[in-house]
Amino acid sequence: MNKHPHIRIDRYALVRNTVFVWLTAVVVAGFLVNIPRINILEHTARNLYFHVPMWFTMMAAVGVSGYHSLRLLQTGSLIRDIRAMQAARVGAWFGVLGLLTGIIWSKFTWYVGTDVWWNFDPRQTMASLQLLIYGAYFVLRSALDDPDRRARIAAVYNLFAATTTPFLLYVIPRQLQSLHPGAEGNPAFSDITEPVMRLIFYPAIIGFIGLFWVLYTQRVRTAWIKYRVIRDPEL
Amino acid sequence: MNWLSGAWAVFEKDLRLELRSRYAINMLIMFVLSSLLLVSFAIGQDAVSTKMQSALLWIVILFSASIGLGRTFVSEEERGTVLILQLSVPGSQVFAGKLAFNYFLLVCVNLIGVFVFTFLLNLDIIHIGLLATTLLLGSLGLAAATTMLSAIIARTTNAGPLLPVLLFPLLFPLLLSVVSACENALIGGFGWAQSGSDLTTLAAFAGVVITASVLLFDFVWND
Repeated sequence: MNKHPHIRIDRYALVRNTVFVWLTAVVVAGFLVNIPRINILEHTARNLYFHVPMWFTMMAAVGVSGYHSLRLLQTGSLIRDIRAMQAARVGAWFGVLGLLTGIIWSKFTWYVGTDVWWNFDPRQTMASLQLLIYGAYFVLRSALDDPDRRARIAAVYNLFAATTTPFLLYVIPRQLQSLHPGAEGNPAFSDITEPVMRLIFYPAIIGFIGLFWVLYTQRVRTAWIKYRVIRDPEL
Repeated sequence: MNWLSGAWAVFEKDLRLELRSRYAINMLIMFVLSSLLLVSFAIGQDAVSTKMQSALLWIVILFSASIGLGRTFVSEEERGTVLILQLSVPGSQVFAGKLAFNYFLLVCVNLIGVFVFTFLLNLDIIHIGLLATTLLLGSLGLAAATTMLSAIIARTTNAGPLLPVLLFPLLFPLLLSVVSACENALIGGFGWAQSGSDLTTLAAFAGVVITASVLLFDFVWND
């Protein structure tokens, strides 16, 4: 048996190369394949391939991070803490990218002529709150010195924060207006998206989640090596 | 019965210590008074909309909670009484007692805040029952989240300013509902008719936060 079953270099390399080829194909197709013209959106509709997958990836990262926090409290093994931490960190970067692509996109389409950069759109608000929670999570980690205690306390905060976020799904739509597809009164995503765009959109989601997986596993392995050398897994 | 008497003992201990020093309650009163005065001076003579009034009231309550209630578990660490408490009563009773004490403090802060606001900002309360229900439910959720997080920050090295950073992102759903329910209780508001979903959210928030705290508290407390 392998002594550290979570480290299999050859398999990681295979996944990494597949993801890189896949994402290159998605990006090339995203910019070159002809898309139907929609009023106002025009060619910015191509941002669909980049902006929306960022959200899917961040949600996947939130799930991975929460799962490993739960497992840490059950088992107490430090690799779970490393996984929860690195999933949160990489996921937060995807969240920042999703926020930026969304802000720039909406500035020049929905809010064109109004000079508005930040609008209290429900999804934008929820995403920024998730980023705030992760910001607090990282600050809390830096205030704890002992790795075992840090692992447990940070996992508790991660799970505690995860119990309050579902309320946002219920509370926010009643308080704030949304222009996103699928929100109340707006057509669902599948009604306004041409089949040719879906052919690139779905592979883009898989590609970006794959990219998350490559970055995440890479950071986990680095942190594990650092922990084995100097007994401190913080990167 | 046994469980309740343990929780009551923790609550009684905290209350007795508080009555001896009156540190937390005095600080909370002073904080609420001075920040409300600051708010009213900054606004000046202008009329403030009811939305603004309820938002200001809750921002003051939120900040005073994050400052005044954060010491709940830190003070146990400083006095060196954590081990005694761990030996005497199970974690869930400690949490319940501390939560009850923080809730008590927070309700006092609410009373003072509303009272002073009525004078300084001409708060026109027409649905007193609705306002009281909103404040009681909102304070319960706020007290539960603050108690749990103050147990977390008591384990960190320099605990002081960490609580607001951890607390505020979690309280967003609470703040949205509580402000809109408070607005409904003021003049020109919709009263009970339109506040059902807000009050449901507040009750559910308090329930979920208390449940999660009871489940997770032992991992923080039994170090």
